Amino acid sequence: MTLQQQIRGNRWRTGLLFILFGVLIAMVLGAASFAVDLPLLIVIGVGMIVYGVVTWYASGTMVAALAGAHPVGRDSYPELWQAVEAAAIGAGLPSTPAVYVINDPAPNAFAAGRNPKHAYVAATTGLLAVMNPRELRAVMAHEIAHVRNRDVRTMALAAVLVGVLLIVSDILLRVTLFGGGRDSNPFAIIGLIVALILAPIGAMMMQMALSRRREYQADATAAEITGDAEGMAMALAVLDADKRQIHHVARATAHLYIESPLVKGRGLFGNLGGLFQTHPALDLRIAALEEAGGFMLNREAATAGLPPEALMSPSDRGE
Amino acid sequence: MIWIIVVLAVVIILLAVWLVALYNRLIRLRVEVQTGWANIDVQLRRRYDLIPNLIEAVKGYVAHEKGVLEAVTEARTGAMSARGPAQTGTANGALASALGGLFVVAENYPDLKASSNFLQLQTELANVEEILAASRRYYNSTVGRYNATQVTVPTIFVARFGDFGPAEFFEEEDQAVRSAPQVSFDQ
Repeated sequence: MTLQQQIRGNRWRTGLLFILFGVLIAMVLGAASFAVDLPLLIVIGVGMIVYGVVTWYASGTMVAALAGAHPVGRDSYPELWQAVEAAAIGAGLPSTPAVYVINDPAPNAFAAGRNPKHAYVAATTGLLAVMNPRELRAVMAHEIAHVRNRDVRTMALAAVLVGVLLIVSDILLRVTLFGGGRDSNPFAIIGLIVALILAPIGAMMMQMALSRRREYQADATAAEITGDAEGMAMALAVLDADKRQIHHVARATAHLYIESPLVKGRGLFGNLGGLFQTHPALDLRIAALEEAGGFMLNREAATAGLPPEALMSPSDRGE
Repeated sequence: MIWIIVVLAVVIILLAVWLVALYNRLIRLRVEVQTGWANIDVQLRRRYDLIPNLIEAVKGYVAHEKGVLEAVTEARTGAMSARGPAQTGTANGALASALGGLFVVAENYPDLKASSNFLQLQTELANVEEILAASRRYYNSTVGRYNATQVTVPTIFVARFGDFGPAEFFEEEDQAVRSAPQVSFDQ
């Protein structure tokens, strides 16, 4: 699939996403209209539209604040800037995005912003410590690929809409359970409660599914931008081997990172966990790159430079 | 009767919209090619601007290797006066190999290699090369797309109505590879 088709596909999916969320919200509001007074519904609806618009325009700043990322100058991080600039020019972006850094020993990175002009990329200090220049270029190219493929916009929209839906269902659930409804039909109330619980779960699964496909595409685009598929695979191998978890992370921003920042689910929902993962397994992503690039990654060589504390799982460190 | 006219009008309008969209696609690609070339141009200028400083930094150490320095200066002048992507690419290939020659010579002068000014210029030049490589990849893939779009159906039908034409690729031809010695096995 060429890049233009991918961008067009993303536009189309963004539109579809918007419509699906609209339908979900309308269904929730419609179901609620049996139990909640109309004026209250209108107030909630208008409030949510205002909330959605505000968070859309503030999304970039909000994500940076949630992640603990701060903008840095070229002089303090010349290598990172160089990698971002090379990737941005290689991707044909209209301008080089701003560069942010997160003070965290776990290696990770993300891109955010509602369009290429307002986009920025963020890297943790841990990423800068464990990656060699070639791998760093690959990771930055991956983030720039998210910007160029308009993934950041779709993801920002998805995050805003999921947020709106979560709040609407939450408010309505409370009103239905504790407020005096007009309708005392118990079946209608139970149906409504089920709908209010299921809608946000469906929305979140949609968000996760959107994100997983994009990671493969961004890996491929990054390999195209840098002309170095192996460098991308090496960087992923390092991310896979490094067991440290990023500290500042909000569930709502998990889908933005290059590697899933969340501890993988175990126990009761272990097998269903795949549906709620924001990222495909790194093994699968490395395999896809190997197939496309026609090489076999030497994982031991790629991860030889990692410090010993990176290889310990969180439980070994007593966290 | 009225229906036939309506249907005909709708078909003509749709056709016109489609043709305009095809034409716009070519225009968009041409703009992308121009942007890609502007990116390359910025990096080439950075490279040209660094060379006098580099020669200044090297001069004191390698005074009796004049030929190498002159070759770089000449190649720079040649590159700056080149016009168009193809010519500029060839001229910059010559410049790159002249610079390569300079760095090979520099290997023989430990004082020069240890000079912080020289090291910094070398790093800056390497940074320019890296971004230049990235902009070249983008430019050439855009040119490829632009040229292919003009000669394929359906855009080929509208390509003749605008100021289009094949764009030149930008390749820095490596002189060293070109002038590789011919290996002969008859003896």
